[in-house]
Amino acid sequence: MRDERVEAKREAASLDEPAAEARQLAERLGLEPYPVRYWVVDHDEMNELIAYGGFQRRYPHWRWGMNYERQRKKDRHGLGKAFEIVNNDDPSHAFLQESNSAADQKAVITHVEAHADFFANNRWFGLYADRGEDGPNAAARLERNADRIAAIADRPAVDRDEVERLIDAVTALEDTIDQHSPVDAARSVEEPGIAEDVNDPDEDPLAAIEERIAELDLSEEVRRDVFDDEWLEARGEGVEPEEPRPDVLAFLRDHGKRYDPESGKSVDREPWETTVIDALREEAYYFAGQKQTKVMNEGWATYWESVMMGGEGFAGPDEFLTYADHMSRVLGSPGINPYKLGFELWSHVELRAARRDVIDKLLRVEGVTPENFHSRVDLDEVADALEPHPAIAGAGPATLDELAELAADGDPRVDAEAIDRALSARSEGPPETDGDWESDPDDGPDIERYPWKLLTREGLAERHYVLSRPEHRGALRNVSRETLTERARYMFDIDRYATVDEALADVDRAAGWDRMLEVRESHNDVTFIDAFLTDEFVREGNYFTYEYSRATEQHRVASVDADDVRKKLLLRFTNFGKPTVVVLDGNFRNRGELLLGHQYNGVALDEESAKATLERVFELWGRPVNLATIRVEYSDEAIRRAKRRGTEPKGEEVGVRFQYDGGEVTAHDLDPEIKERIAADEVDYDTKPDDWLA
Amino acid sequence: MGLTEDRERFREVGEERREDLAEFISHGDLGGSDPDRVRIPVKIVDLPEFEYDQREAGGVGQGQDGQPQPGQPVEPEPDGDEEGDPGEEGGEHEYYEMDPEEFARELDEELGLDLEPKGKRVVEEVEGDFTDTARAGPRGTLDVDEFFKRGLKRHLATDFDDEYVREGLFVAGAGVDDAFAWARDEGIPVSRAWIADAAATLAAEHGEPVAALDRWESFDALDDAVDREPVTQRIRREGLDSVPFRREDERFRHPEVIEKRERNVVVVNVRDASGSMRETKRELVERVFTPMDWYLTGKYDAAEFRYVVHDAEAWEVDREEFFGVQSGGGTRISSAYELVAEILEEYPYSEWNRYVFAAGDSENAGSDTTDAVIPLMESIDANLHAYVETQPGGAAPNARHADEVEEAFGDADNVAVARVSEPDDVTDAIYEILSTEADGDGGATAGEAARGRTDGGENR
Repeated sequence: MRDERVEAKREAASLDEPAAEARQLAERLGLEPYPVRYWVVDHDEMNELIAYGGFQRRYPHWRWGMNYERQRKKDRHGLGKAFEIVNNDDPSHAFLQESNSAADQKAVITHVEAHADFFANNRWFGLYADRGEDGPNAAARLERNADRIAAIADRPAVDRDEVERLIDAVTALEDTIDQHSPVDAARSVEEPGIAEDVNDPDEDPLAAIEERIAELDLSEEVRRDVFDDEWLEARGEGVEPEEPRPDVLAFLRDHGKRYDPESGKSVDREPWETTVIDALREEAYYFAGQKQTKVMNEGWATYWESVMMGGEGFAGPDEFLTYADHMSRVLGSPGINPYKLGFELWSHVELRAARRDVIDKLLRVEGVTPENFHSRVDLDEVADALEPHPAIAGAGPATLDELAELAADGDPRVDAEAIDRALSARSEGPPETDGDWESDPDDGPDIERYPWKLLTREGLAERHYVLSRPEHRGALRNVSRETLTERARYMFDIDRYATVDEALADVDRAAGWDRMLEVRESHNDVTFIDAFLTDEFVREGNYFTYEYSRATEQHRVASVDADDVRKKLLLRFTNFGKPTVVVLDGNFRNRGELLLGHQYNGVALDEESAKATLERVFELWGRPVNLATIRVEYSDEAIRRAKRRGTEPKGEEVGVRFQYDGGEVTAHDLDPEIKERIAADEVDYDTKPDDWLA
Repeated sequence: MGLTEDRERFREVGEERREDLAEFISHGDLGGSDPDRVRIPVKIVDLPEFEYDQREAGGVGQGQDGQPQPGQPVEPEPDGDEEGDPGEEGGEHEYYEMDPEEFARELDEELGLDLEPKGKRVVEEVEGDFTDTARAGPRGTLDVDEFFKRGLKRHLATDFDDEYVREGLFVAGAGVDDAFAWARDEGIPVSRAWIADAAATLAAEHGEPVAALDRWESFDALDDAVDREPVTQRIRREGLDSVPFRREDERFRHPEVIEKRERNVVVVNVRDASGSMRETKRELVERVFTPMDWYLTGKYDAAEFRYVVHDAEAWEVDREEFFGVQSGGGTRISSAYELVAEILEEYPYSEWNRYVFAAGDSENAGSDTTDAVIPLMESIDANLHAYVETQPGGAAPNARHADEVEEAFGDADNVAVARVSEPDDVTDAIYEILSTEADGDGGATAGEAARGRTDGGENR
């Protein structure tokens, strides 16, 4: 189909050059992206891809239909055109919208290259992707799941609606996994759906017993009378986890059953059911990496996009305005925007690392101490000294001779080989400009359009050095004595520099980028925000927290304090912004009931959705299910009193256990011991000031 | 391929097959929080999950201008779509907000409609120019021109040729009374007192009573000999020394009262809620009615909406319920029109533009359409009656309501029938309906034009 689209093909061909050049530039900047396959799609194909989360095929489910309808509506009414969607895979597949302008396509390509670098190097993605030689192989795995589940739904013996319901139930629990562990950590079946039963009998005594009973070939009645569930559960000691198990889906997959309404008993699942659960759980792990790094990943892509497009002129001068406009729209959309938040945090990481490097060097100059730093060191001189070499800053045809001199001295900042080729191309006269970029390789690099080809990463680092950017010239001056003292504390009294110039000669212009590469490897959104969200960031962005006031029955601004804002943001990013629910007991009350525990952090559950979710858990457990949680109760009197005094009422934290056995969800008092197990004291996400309403 | 099926399955969510999910469906509230904005609804099905109580969780916001003060009330940020796709850019709103007027304009452009709403109800009397006058008012509004004109008129009316009247006293044998009677006969606005006064003066001058003065033999002789000089001529000769201004000549200007008529509309939306109206049909109704409501909201100064649902009985509901209600009963469409007639009594046709939009799957009880509905439609005055048949998968053989209405009214310019079998038909249906009324005048023009052509042919 796509191959017949002449228009799309032509567009794709015109992108070969920018794609290849962007790849080269990205690598020269120190990125190590997965290979990227670029596709050009029309808007309807784009809507489909977005509906499917960036893939061409997914298992059958109405959810994709819903996503599609929504995306189409957005697209049609101009509410959100998708420029591109890229999936995390090796190779990555990037789908670009056909209707993008030339400048947009270039911007999108640089953006995609940075995403592909993030996918390849972030360890949270690695949890899913590092599977030996196979790599993530995501598109293929998702496609396999699509085929498998579609085939199951088509089986004559299987009710298609039941498959859909099962998918609904698992989807309701897709975030109750252990996203901090690899997908295989809680894996008990090698190839899902192929093994006869869920479990390896050696690992699970209960399953082993059941299997032996099954071998007795008893009638259902006898079996029910003699070996009833209680009898079985009493012997299934392995079902009770000693430690809370965060991977609820894995636990349900391994130990869950299905409720058979006819016999009123739980029965073993059909193998296909386990196949479906396992496939969806696997996909949940795949998407968890993405969900946990949204801010970092989008910020990372936006940062490198801006270096490549703006800093390196990847957009032609005529395209730059379009690009700038595109960028400002992306960064300017309201609310907590992951692009903007991420971009600013990354810029901050870079600045901090570069500044630390310079401070460390300067503090090692003879006679410089944290106390006399600001008076002893002439920071204007430092700033001037840190300016990039003019030939490096202005690399291009005009500075070729100067760069050649540097190359002759073996300067590591220039690419001697490229300069050589550029020189010989120049002496041979101008190359024929027939616009065919694949022409004779002896032509030399196109240093007019791609001047970066003359520089190494070191040279590029100097060219884009953060402390020589106008907006950061004051960064050194603003360093507090506190910071200086702290840095000095870790320094040994060796490697002293005689002069400031000597120290500055040692400054590592790539310190910022190097630090960024480290951070992109090890952090996720939670640690990233925790570590790098600063007071300035909160102040300059006018961020604030808000809370619901029960006394006034309104949401009110609660705090503008950076720590509070950070705390609230962390609540929003920790565990996908969802409450943590774990398995506490697989044989609760010795009756084979499931006990889930909401690990209470001071923020209560939404009870309506929790009850509805519990009903879905029942479908995957087959026996009664329980959820232990803590709710905050406010007595009418407390609220009245609070209103009178203009304060907030004090609530009482009460343990509650919801139970569902196929009928109605019922609420019960919670055993104090269990309450003890789920309550956390040390966290507090409340940012309400004491004299809030005064 | 697969996606087509997924979309089909999605449409069925909440229907019989997947009724268990009905509780998780949210349709957009079309009213919105701001009455001036309308929203395009999207059906969203949120599978439940463990999540925080939004009130307990609080959140982070960003101030637009400056940092806000703690304690200041805020609107919590709507919960974004957290499962964003990498690289997908753009807002994550689930609604498309549009101003009704803008919407109406766009629809006009898109469909080439040109509906000029008529003003009907008098809503207020506004002040026009200061062109009316009254006898009393603030000094500042005194109409000086008018005052002078009236004074002048009075002057002219009371002014007379005194020489001429005085001559009357020289008629032989004529006394004061005779002269007065003569002057009055001549239509001279003179008082008896003035003549008596003049007579006394003359008597004093001549030393004998006026009756004795006999310059003229008779009044007739006087008339023949002396011409009365017209007032205007005299004023021109002598100039106007003074105009007798009187209080009663004062006129004060005040603004003209203009009746302003509001372009007001009442729309009665009628929907079949009987057992055969499944989710897909209901959705089609919503897709047609919603834009029409916005369109009329945008076109008129004031729009009121009433909602009637019916099975075999009809009852009125709120907008929120209107698209969702489903009952189990049979269908009798006339029940709805009876209620419509009753509702519209509150909105006299002389004061209101009226629209009656009904929708259903064309199923109706027995001969209800011809026996009851059509007469009712005829009796209910309205700018437009419309029936929208929503029949996914095309017309059903026993569902004849739309056909019968169409047959009965033919090309009447205030009855429209549209058929919708899938979302893509919606635009055509809206056009069909709204252009019917827009053509109200235009239709006649078109007819004349057609006749004109025929005539032309005959002439040649």
